[in-house]
Amino acid sequence: MNRINWFGFIFISPVLIMVLLFFLTPVVMTGFFSFTNMSTSTGIKGGEYLINQETIKEIKKYNIQKDTIEKLQNAGYLIDDEGLKIVSKKYKESLSNEIKSFYLGEKFLKRKDLERALKKLKKNKIKKTRDRKEIAEIFKESIINERFDSKSIFEENLIKLEINENDRAIIIEESYTGWTWTNNNFKLIYNLPSSYKFAFYTLIYVSFTLTFNVIFGLFLAISTFYLPSKTASTFRTIWFLPRILPPVLYVLMWKWFTWDTGFISQMSTYFGAAPKNWMMDSPLHAWTVIVLINGFVGASFGMILFSSAIKAIPSSMLYASEVDGANRWQQIWNIIIPQLRWPIMFTTAYQTLSLLTSFEYILLATNGGPGRSTEVWALAAYHTALQNYAGNLQYGLGATYALVLVIIGIIASLFYLKFFNFKDLVIKPRIEG
Amino acid sequence: MNFRNIFIAILFAFLSLGSAIAKDVKITVWAGGTNEADYYRMEAIKMAADILTREMAIQGEEINITVEGKRDFGGWGEFKQAVTLAAEDGSAPNIVVTSHLDIAPWSQAGYIVPVEDYLDMDAWPLNDIYDNLMEIAAYNGIQYGLPQDAESRPFFFWKEYLKGIGYSDSDIDALPSKVASGDYTLANVLEDAKKAVSMGLVEEGYGFYPRVSNGPDYAQFYQSFGGELMDSASGKLLLDKASMQEFYQFFADAVAAGVTKKNHIGTDWGQWYNEVANGKAAFWHGGTWHYARYTGKEGNDDFFGTIQFTLIPAGNDRGRANTITHPLVYLVTNQNDDDLQDIASQLVKIASEPRINSLHAIESAHLGISKQQSNVGLYANDQWAAEATEVLLGSANAQPNHLQYGVFSEAMWAGLESVWTGSKSAADAVNDLESELSSKLGDDLIVR
Repeated sequence: MNRINWFGFIFISPVLIMVLLFFLTPVVMTGFFSFTNMSTSTGIKGGEYLINQETIKEIKKYNIQKDTIEKLQNAGYLIDDEGLKIVSKKYKESLSNEIKSFYLGEKFLKRKDLERALKKLKKNKIKKTRDRKEIAEIFKESIINERFDSKSIFEENLIKLEINENDRAIIIEESYTGWTWTNNNFKLIYNLPSSYKFAFYTLIYVSFTLTFNVIFGLFLAISTFYLPSKTASTFRTIWFLPRILPPVLYVLMWKWFTWDTGFISQMSTYFGAAPKNWMMDSPLHAWTVIVLINGFVGASFGMILFSSAIKAIPSSMLYASEVDGANRWQQIWNIIIPQLRWPIMFTTAYQTLSLLTSFEYILLATNGGPGRSTEVWALAAYHTALQNYAGNLQYGLGATYALVLVIIGIIASLFYLKFFNFKDLVIKPRIEG
Repeated sequence: MNFRNIFIAILFAFLSLGSAIAKDVKITVWAGGTNEADYYRMEAIKMAADILTREMAIQGEEINITVEGKRDFGGWGEFKQAVTLAAEDGSAPNIVVTSHLDIAPWSQAGYIVPVEDYLDMDAWPLNDIYDNLMEIAAYNGIQYGLPQDAESRPFFFWKEYLKGIGYSDSDIDALPSKVASGDYTLANVLEDAKKAVSMGLVEEGYGFYPRVSNGPDYAQFYQSFGGELMDSASGKLLLDKASMQEFYQFFADAVAAGVTKKNHIGTDWGQWYNEVANGKAAFWHGGTWHYARYTGKEGNDDFFGTIQFTLIPAGNDRGRANTITHPLVYLVTNQNDDDLQDIASQLVKIASEPRINSLHAIESAHLGISKQQSNVGLYANDQWAAEATEVLLGSANAQPNHLQYGVFSEAMWAGLESVWTGSKSAADAVNDLESELSSKLGDDLIVR
């Protein structure tokens, strides 16, 4: 018995690994990212401690002692005996002595100033720029613009500057360059007017595309059912093309078809109409095209499912109805459709979930335009997390958008499981029962 | 000691000598937004490597530098993703050529190191680079990168159509100065574009034919109407509602007047270039580097005879004629290896020599980065470089290096898109923009 259980696990392991890698991990990561302020500037792996002009601006907003800022800002480079000793040890004593005779006790606010001063040395010229910079660094008092890997070393340096404990805590928090935990993303999404728009567009997208999918899929399945089987399978293959075409190519063909330099416009100019971009002219145009693009892809899925379901209807029922004098329409309405109830429900459920998260055809076709009127939720997540002309990608916020979809998806699937009563759908085997 | 041991000893001595003779260093350069004509972005580093190798050899250091360049990234988005992911992974290229706007986030994330840690900023050729360009490559007072090229984004006029609506040759010649002084404004642009369309010189929608995607260009129109991107005193980003609204309204008006297409955004770049280079549009705006494309691939043999260029005209009394320069910069990435970072810094320094930089400037129709380039024959004798530098570069400003500028720029563009396509009024779009930016930027934003 045990051995059989193990066999089961071995057989199912490819699926388990796939689920783990391609579903569970991304979901867990999304959940994790969405509670952070992660962006390009915070990096992904973690941060360091860095005080720069920006940090000082931030620190000033807190109630801290006045001299703290001064201690941070005015500590530049000081020529002192301690530093000179290091120079004589690392380089030459004569160099150290010359620096001493020129500049002992002098303070330089910027490294550049000290570097310029060091260039004036006569007997011990420092030839290499890099050496000059290294020597300047020896005299550094300030910790501005220096990156510290560890918090404890950073804090030690703050203690050296005699900054009190309260201020130290603030400085440490503000100078951390990495990401931190936060729930601000959720608040932000809740407060942004654009979120509600994205939600509304998603609703439009899912409901219209879904309706089109199911109705058109049903139409294809039923109409091909009444055709001779060879012709029927040819038609089905043709309608299957949108699904097997690479999306980029498929959308490109739609662009050739709809744009102002495309087929429709070319044809309409023969009738005297001005060429017009049928995809991007108005939100209505864009939505129509998007529903059609996605709808034709989705319809083939419904067509296959419905076709096989229709074939499973005992043909005796259809013959009997014909003997009773039923016409085609009556057959469809009273026999076929009632028996397709479950496949229709299944398609609806499945397609809702996949449409919620799919945005690739919209991205390729309108990229959310015109005027962001086709920016669905999933596309907004993509744009926020992975596209920004001027640099700072907001991974955290983007993940939060995605997490909302994940949550909706999980709730919807639980609902569907309950609603369909999957236990009833899976008929118990009769042999053992 | 037998022969075998002697042999091994000699072999070891030989091998260690070999490694002392030439230290092999591999430097990789990734260049974003780089077209065919821009190959000198990488070639210049190769030339610099040759010079540096010779310099070091004279100083007694044998080094062998191989430079590998890569420029084929899908677009800016893909390039930036590639660089950030590589940096997180620890396999970043040594040198990147990218937008100066990346300096803020990338320095904060620790992906790049300041070149000023390795270079003498007072020495040749760095002391000859224009100050405003050097500033653009700095953030928080630290010199992170060096400008790689300069450019600016002019307004273009198709001369034939100007004549068609009644301009004389001298009127056309005077246009740049009239724009600069504010006598010719965006209102005039609209008026003239309407004429060009109504007289049938160009098709409807081709009177004013703007850039087809988001870019620094649109911040220019905000500035034309008196907007400022950053408050210089506080260093915060600035939303000037009145200017923003007028800027949005200008595009709405252009669409309403039939001079600009309502669904212009997203037009294919290839189609766009071909149309503007060959006189399908009356007025448009672009970049100085377009010169190479128009006269090269698109086959316009008589650029100066067919096209006039000016600053972006002012929009109202508060605004000014302006142009934005969006220089690319050489950045040195963090490799946790001082020697490598030092070599990379030396290379970008040498690549900034006037003579080497002029090769890129002229080959790709960009502008120079340093004053002495006007003394390099190649640069000085090029009509486009000389004229564009004179007309444009003096009035050029750059977008701010600010961590949140990306958010600002994307939101501004989204607002413009919605007004342009007619899904919102300019006033509504600005109000939405305000609430969007206030929530997203909080304390980093000033609303005026």
